[in-house]
This record gives sequence, structure tokens and C-alpha cells, in this order.
Amino acid sequence: MMRNEEGDARLESLARQLGARAAEQVDVDRVARQVVEQLRTQPEPRATWIQPAWLRIAAMVVVLVGTGVVVGRLTTGQRPVVSQHAAHYVADDLNDLSADELRDVLTSFDEIISTDSAVVPDSSSDLRGLDAQQLREVLRAVQGEVS
Amino acid sequence: MANPLPQTVTVPDTALISAWQRGDERAAAELVERHARPLARFLAGAGAPETDVDDLVQETFVRAFRSVDRFRGQCQFRTWLLTIGGNVLKDFGRRAARRKVVPLEEGVRDRTGDPHDHAEARETEDLLAAGLQKLPRLQREVFLLRAQQGLEYDEIARALGTTPGAARVHYHHAVRRLKEIVK
Repeated sequence: MMRNEEGDARLESLARQLGARAAEQVDVDRVARQVVEQLRTQPEPRATWIQPAWLRIAAMVVVLVGTGVVVGRLTTGQRPVVSQHAAHYVADDLNDLSADELRDVLTSFDEIISTDSAVVPDSSSDLRGLDAQQLREVLRAVQGEVS
Repeated sequence: MANPLPQTVTVPDTALISAWQRGDERAAAELVERHARPLARFLAGAGAPETDVDDLVQETFVRAFRSVDRFRGQCQFRTWLLTIGGNVLKDFGRRAARRKVVPLEEGVRDRTGDPHDHAEARETEDLLAAGLQKLPRLQREVFLLRAQQGLEYDEIARALGTTPGAARVHYHHAVRRLKEIVK
């Protein structure tokens, strides 16, 4: 282990020699010529990251699109999306069904009622006594689409 | 008409920088001639492979001249140049790692590979160079700026954006660790 002062001096002496060989090998004139040539002929490379101006534009586009979506929903949709979807089912799809098809749907609906007693009250079994038109109206009433 | 300056008067770096900013390429060449070798020593000491020192010196000068507007004279031009050299070397190490070419530390280890083939001075120098690679970058640069380039702590602190006290602490940490290696 080196003693402190002696060790420091030796280390600094070594450090002064460090890289001396590499420095001697540098062709200074050639480096100077190449540096000047490179500065003269090669334009400064553009930064590879996105310019701040483009970032600002992209942020504005996102804000505008987002605002448009929110405003659109607020102005055109008075009901939640789920309700609109259900209403579409009742208003459009049920109207297109024939009496037999409607009967099949109602049979399925009956099965759901009978297996989900926790949700549908017992009185709902009265639905079985209704005809197709009445059931259609009941379904529309459930969806808030009574005509 | 003004008399030309006598040949013996050394034009200060700041005057050459101003001349370069006005488009005087000769001033840029003069700055390269003044500082290329100390920069090469610094880069080699910091771990640059000898075969790449020329290119790294060139890249450092180009980067420095292109950003010379940011040099406010907070320290000497050479000190500022050396800190840019440190950044260039760091980028070089990253590029080498990505290309899976000889990484910086392997380059250093290659030189320490067979000490019997080298003179004692070279062996110790290689040992020191290898030891420097084990230091954190800031400690390594402070050590080289102080011990190799002979700069004062105030100057080092201004160049590296730290305080003279912190620079002194970094230096002493570096010395303590290097003495363990070079014993």
C-alpha cells in the first residue's frame, strides 16, 4: 500500500503521462483540416427527436378531437349508450319480426324469467298470458319506447 | 491601416472563437492545433481506444464549434472542450455497445492483457487506465482534469457545473480508489 503523499505524487505523475502516446499519434494538421472541411460541407444534423412545434400541433389535434367527441355525445345523446342500444333492439328489431319469430323471442324471454327469479318478480309469469302485440308493447314499455 | 500583430503575441482563445463565429476558418484550425493533443490525452485517459482517438478528437471539435454560441467564458475554452470530449466519448461507448463492436472497457483490457510484453511504465499506465474505467464518470473526469490536465478545483467546478468543494471530494475519492488499484 502506498504511503499517502508519496502515493498521491506517483499517481499524479502517472496521470500526467496517461494518454501521452495516443496524443503523440494524433495528426493535428489533418484533424484541423478535416474539422474545417466538415464544418464547411456538412450541415448541422437535425435533431432526430420530434420538434416542439410538431408536439404542440399533435397536442392541439388531440384536444380538438377529444372535445369534439365529448360535445357530440353531450348534444346528440340524451340517454346513456346502453339505453340507446336497447332501444334500437326494441324499436327496430322487434318491428321486423314476424308473429312466429316474436313468439320464439318471447319463449326465450320466458325461459330467462323462469331461471332468474331473483331479478324478475313472480308476477312476471303473467306475461305468458299476453298475445304478441301485448308482449311487444310490454317490451317497448320496459325499454321506455311505448308508442 | 493597423499594423499586424507580431508573431510572438499569442491570440487568446476567445478572440479566435469570435473570429470563427465571423466565418474565419483559419481561427477554427488554430484552435484545433492548440487543443487537439491535450484533448487526445484526456480522451485516451478516459478510456478511448487509441485507434479511435483521432476520430473522437475530430468529433469533439466539430460538436464544440457547432455549439460555441453556448460557451459563455465560464471556464477556459480548453476545459469546456474537454467536457464536450467526455460527452462524445460517452456517446461513442453507447454506439459501440449497440454495434457489439469492441466495447470501451474491453479496449482498455486489451492493452493490459500481457504486461510482460510492455515496459514497466506502460504497464502501470495501463493499470491506471483500467482503474479509471472502474470509477464513476464524474470522479474519472475530475481526476483527469485535475491530475492530468493540472486544472484548479474552481475551474473544474465551473466546467462540470458543481462546486469546488464537491470537485475536491470527487478527486479524493478517485485518488483513494486508484491507489488501491495501482499499488
